[in-house]
Amino acid sequence: MPVPARAADFALRFALALVLFYASADKLLHPQDFAAIVKGYHVLPDALINPVAIWLPWLELALGLSLVSGFWSEGAATLTAGLFGAFWLLMIVSWARGIDVGCGCFSTKPADPGAEPVSMLYYIGRDAVLFGLALFTAWVRLKAVGEGGE
Amino acid sequence: MRLVPRILGQSLGLLALSALFAFGVNAARPDGLPLAQAAAKPAPSAVQLTEASGEIALKDAAMLFLSGRAVFLDARSDFEYQLGHIQGAINLPVRNFASEFQDIKPRLAGKDAVIAYCDGAGCPLSHALAKHLREAGVKNVYVLKNGWSLWQAEKLPVAKGVDGAPSSPTTPGAAAPATKAQLAPERTASSPLSKAKAPRLSKAPQMSTATPAKANGQDKLCTDCTN
Repeated sequence: MPVPARAADFALRFALALVLFYASADKLLHPQDFAAIVKGYHVLPDALINPVAIWLPWLELALGLSLVSGFWSEGAATLTAGLFGAFWLLMIVSWARGIDVGCGCFSTKPADPGAEPVSMLYYIGRDAVLFGLALFTAWVRLKAVGEGGE
Repeated sequence: MRLVPRILGQSLGLLALSALFAFGVNAARPDGLPLAQAAAKPAPSAVQLTEASGEIALKDAAMLFLSGRAVFLDARSDFEYQLGHIQGAINLPVRNFASEFQDIKPRLAGKDAVIAYCDGAGCPLSHALAKHLREAGVKNVYVLKNGWSLWQAEKLPVAKGVDGAPSSPTTPGAAAPATKAQLAPERTASSPLSKAKAPRLSKAPQMSTATPAKANGQDKLCTDCTN
């Protein structure tokens, strides 16, 4: 595997890992608040809200560690792409249902009541970019593995 | 192709490891979430009841009325009560407290608030009734100051006659959500007395206005305020 390709592979994984670390931090610190956000999406039965709120931040952290370390990184890149794809679809479905959930993707704090409300379309666009980044990272990683680079 | 099983294996490993850490740490941390329950942060009630002041705002009282969480006690005389009262309210004149309270007591159970009211900003009947109720061991007792005038001024559901009186066993003990018919005071007359006195009641909204109230409203009503 040529050096530029390896550098691109690492840079993409590192960038994706940073996103995942940032996304998991606040949720890990405030599980109660994150559970309330999960509940606000109205897609899970009550019995699953707390388990998902507990597990999801740790999954994001594990994926980030795996991507940045290179250990099990093919699985991590693929799983991250799937996860971000699911988040993106969830935002679209919420928007279509008229649920303004304020995302909760990177922060569990409620929006400032005095601030201009952020449109759901912004979150959908942002999640689409992240989904694209994750897909590209997974493609580069799997291509590198397929070529026998690692 | 060996790539697919590899990806699957790694993904399952990551899912399992993260779950292990997540639930392990959650069990260990003091602010961990209970697994068996839903997110335990219900939306806070818009009604904020503080027993310190002993009074309740009209907005809060109206909200409790609509959700059936309060029982209203009319502290005025039986005569004034029959002319018009908050829908579903129970008449409990202060002078009759000792004789009627035991009959009414079961109807106060299970409510978030017991709201006493009379009429006029200076009317002491509701405060006197609230005091008797607290002394009798009733909790969550509040006074809706100038209750009857304010309630009418906001065109909240009212009733006439004896429908909420303790002597009527068919009357609900607490406020019920209003229907269209109930929201129209003119259509709620249910006794000959209320029909006969209807013109007097029709003046009532004027009593709730700021200045003219004293002249023909509060002073007149408080001739009954002997406690």
